[in-house]
Amino acid sequence: MIGKEDERVLITGLGIVSSVGIGREEFWRNCLSGISGIKPIQRFETSPYRSQLGAELPEIDFKQWIRPSNLRRMDRIGKIMVSAVKLALEDSGMDLSREDPNRIGIAIGTGLGSSNTVDLFFRSLLKEGPTGAQPLLFQTAVPNAITSHCAIEFGIRGVNLTFSHKEVSSEMAIAFAYQQLKKGRVDIMFAGGGDELSEPLYHVYSRLGVLSPGRGEGEEGMRPFDRKRNGIVLGEGGGILVLERLDHAKQRGARIYGEICGVGGSGSTDGVLRYDLKGEAIARAMFLATNDLELVDYISAAANSTPELDRAESLAIQNVFGERIKGISISSLKSMIGEFDGAGGLRACALALTLFHQIIPPTVGTVDLDPLCGLNVILEKPQKREIRSALLNGCSNGGSNLSLWFKSWSQSEVL
Amino acid sequence: MRRRVVVTGLGVVSAIGTHVYQFWESLISGKDGTKEITVFDASPYSNKRAAEISGLDLGSHFSKRELRRLSRCDQFGLIAFREAWKDGRLDRDPVEKERVGVLLGAGSGGILSMERYFRDLYSGRKRASPSLLVSYSLATTTDLIAIEAGLKGPRNTTATVCSSSSVSIGVAYEMIQMGLAEVMVTGGSDSLCEVSFSGFNSLKLIDPESCKPFDKRRKGLILGEGAGILILEELGHALRRGAPIRAELLGYGICADAYHLTAPEPNGEGVERVIRSALAHAGLSPEEVDTINAHGTATPFNDISETRGIKRVFGERAKEIPISGIKSMIGHCLGSAGGIEAVATVLTIEKGVIPPTIHYEVPDPLCDLNYVPNQSIKREVRIALSNSFAFGGNNACLVFGKYISNGKRSFR
Repeated sequence: MIGKEDERVLITGLGIVSSVGIGREEFWRNCLSGISGIKPIQRFETSPYRSQLGAELPEIDFKQWIRPSNLRRMDRIGKIMVSAVKLALEDSGMDLSREDPNRIGIAIGTGLGSSNTVDLFFRSLLKEGPTGAQPLLFQTAVPNAITSHCAIEFGIRGVNLTFSHKEVSSEMAIAFAYQQLKKGRVDIMFAGGGDELSEPLYHVYSRLGVLSPGRGEGEEGMRPFDRKRNGIVLGEGGGILVLERLDHAKQRGARIYGEICGVGGSGSTDGVLRYDLKGEAIARAMFLATNDLELVDYISAAANSTPELDRAESLAIQNVFGERIKGISISSLKSMIGEFDGAGGLRACALALTLFHQIIPPTVGTVDLDPLCGLNVILEKPQKREIRSALLNGCSNGGSNLSLWFKSWSQSEVL
Repeated sequence: MRRRVVVTGLGVVSAIGTHVYQFWESLISGKDGTKEITVFDASPYSNKRAAEISGLDLGSHFSKRELRRLSRCDQFGLIAFREAWKDGRLDRDPVEKERVGVLLGAGSGGILSMERYFRDLYSGRKRASPSLLVSYSLATTTDLIAIEAGLKGPRNTTATVCSSSSVSIGVAYEMIQMGLAEVMVTGGSDSLCEVSFSGFNSLKLIDPESCKPFDKRRKGLILGEGAGILILEELGHALRRGAPIRAELLGYGICADAYHLTAPEPNGEGVERVIRSALAHAGLSPEEVDTINAHGTATPFNDISETRGIKRVFGERAKEIPISGIKSMIGHCLGSAGGIEAVATVLTIEKGVIPPTIHYEVPDPLCDLNYVPNQSIKREVRIALSNSFAFGGNNACLVFGKYISNGKRSFR
């Protein structure tokens, strides 16, 4: 008999491929020390652009995680995501061969998936005409190719989804995974997402005028909630959570990082490249995500160093929490990993670690807090404190907002 | 307790009709939307045909500025949305906009505009206009619809290309289950572009003349374009405002072959699993299914594996179930295929007419089911499935049923 308790959705594994660190331990160590992944871009020539910064992954030897025969069929973003799933799986200690593959699912959020492959395909087509179209590039150019690679590599035969909705792509993947587990349609979900930093994508963002014109080293580029914030720095990477139902996790004695307890979503309608200007929709998403605002001690903010979003999110947090605001710690991971559509996967991994260790990483780069934002932002040093539950906010330009409610496991009733 | 979800509005833009009534008439009379491509220069290709939308006066729908900034995909999506919104009487009934969300499926999205931009940029012949980049994201059509109608519920976009908008309908259903919305605008939009065309062409998956699903002479797909939008609504909400209920969405299945990046699992095992998962979710048995809107791309492999999958689920009865391959008329619309086909499936239930598979002449011994050859058939339809499969073996199946007020379906 499956009871209500068993419907609870737990985080039992983390897979991290980021510019701040590869794997849970390195990533978390660097998060707490405030080591940002943002640096001048190495992979392509940035002199034509106003900004030269990006949060690039280091060179990675993917052979350590992916068999060479499979590696050949994958482009870079495919390798990043398959590695993230592999790391999450190892971290969870799960033996997939003992699980029913039809009861395992995957949901991934990404911007364009393989923007570099699309560009290579198109350039070759332009140069040589129809015969220049390369079938091997085309099959990995679709955004869901990354999810398919993961399904094939690990034999994941249950629900399989790819979301692409700007900066709330991965948050949606996690929300959907949560719902599938709660409804008992699967036992295990891999959920999160990622993106790669490519020149065509950089070009598009640059032309649309959203990149921070930073030219310096380190943290200069991104400073959420800072008075001098001036835009985003593009990043890349992949972050995957292993999510399990309580009954399943209990049975195999899994290590539990935390619990996902709620989802809130909303839209604003200020324009196709605009965030929620008044913060009303962001507030609604947070309000809907939790059934007990009193339990919220920390918010992993979506704030991405744009004048618009940081202000709107601040207003939203002030409106939702009122007097309690001083007691709530706020930070944004984006000044370390950069901004990208699938960043929610890594942000969710960091939040799970925050709950597990009861310590909040600092908001790197922010020095001079904008008084208009009026929040208790954690700067410079990590903050050790009791965190009973936390919100993960995702907000996209165009106006989609999702908030996920995470609870600390030690604070849940003992089973 | 699961909330019941009904369909209360439909909108469609396709090569065989740019209104629901026109689309339906063409569909049941077996009209082929295939023609020579004009949306990009197809002259270097030996195959030059697609189900392109023509004769749609875009100037009557959009201002000059909108025509410059909106991608073709955005334009189709907005037109189909406006029809569905009106059809559901949501333009007149007062609804709480915070409780209305949008969840669309995307395929190529704004790639056609991006192609124009990067062609200008890389050739250096012309200044590339950044207004072509506004629709760089697959989310743009979704956002534009919400912005136009002031919809403040949750919003997202699925990106599994060929199955995207079937998947989006399943996710929209879940948004209502999660209590995040009472009404969801769902389905999808997509436009032809050279990247998709040349890609399928390079995989040798395009038929030079027409799309002939399940026919022995089939050589591949014909690409199409358009939008299919559905309004999904929680039953109580629909009843309270006296909305027209077109059909009920009873359940969905989504799963993966986990087999190959482009080829379907040949024995139909993945197809079997997704149909079984959808039926189980809907609480139905295979005996209750009256018709299937097939994925039916007319690629040699898809049609065999889909046929095998259907036989694995329905056994001997498979031969009795009418199976429509409407891509023979509208082409494969990628990101909007599932949405347009869901519209067709709802109409099939509502009208009691099953659309045909056209260009069906020569039976294939490996595809030996009833594909409703060339002529539509009149028959009462209580339960209908709509299949969509994508690259990478991303399978989806939707279960629609005639709306019955007490929800009790008699087992036949």
